[in-house]
Amino acid sequence: MTGVPARQPSADVRRTNSGAGRVLVAVYGIFALAATARASVQLLTKFDQAPLAYVLSALAGVIYIVATVTLARGTRASRRLALVAISIELVGVLSVGTLSVVDPEAFPRATVWSVYGIGYGFVPLLLPILGLAWLWHTRPDAP
Amino acid sequence: MIDALAYAVVVLAGVAAIWGVVTAIVNKPPGKAQLLYAAGVEVVTVLQSIIAAAKMISGFRPAELATTIGYLIGIVILIPIAWLWANVERTRFSGIVLAVAAVSVLAMTLRLLVLWTPAG
Repeated sequence: MTGVPARQPSADVRRTNSGAGRVLVAVYGIFALAATARASVQLLTKFDQAPLAYVLSALAGVIYIVATVTLARGTRASRRLALVAISIELVGVLSVGTLSVVDPEAFPRATVWSVYGIGYGFVPLLLPILGLAWLWHTRPDAP
Repeated sequence: MIDALAYAVVVLAGVAAIWGVVTAIVNKPPGKAQLLYAAGVEVVTVLQSIIAAAKMISGFRPAELATTIGYLIGIVILIPIAWLWANVERTRFSGIVLAVAAVSVLAMTLRLLVLWTPAG
């Protein structure tokens, strides 16, 4: 045994993909599917009607996919990526939500983030908050 | 789509969702009957998508064709994926995972009923 301070054994590391985290991953997975499918239909069939809204829809889909995969993996590296993706998600839903309320003209067509995700029971607004809380709760250096 | 079948899916999925929440509350992983029931809901959901596809092949055109096709495909993959995900780590949260998938199937079926209106 060396003089290196003992690290937490891997079994004790709180993983993002365990316990309640499995529910979070499931919800993220459904939004990854919903947002990506919706954006694909919008981009393929009526892109010229609202290019900005539909590109944002696609971005939301990609972010949900990244968050789903990184939270499901639950490694140290994937946690970092999850933090970035979920932070962008929070900024996205807040800014698109606010813009769609103050300037509906800019968002003539609904995206997952329009009016803070009203079309999806406001889950898109709740999800990044829960995601960040979960990352904090499972942080490796927690006491 | 057949309205009666769609409402059957709504009820069956609703029961699956409640069942999932109940096992979570009593702190148990989903039992064998519950997993079989989820598989049964999946069978009816697949049947619904097949019938809808057959109706579209034989000439029915919903107003939002691409969205409808997306829903009919997407709705059949939810329960199988949740089923596998719930069984990898069997805890009370497995029931919630099944419930999340069931609620999604329920919501998507209600949306499909609205989407299922002819074009023009």
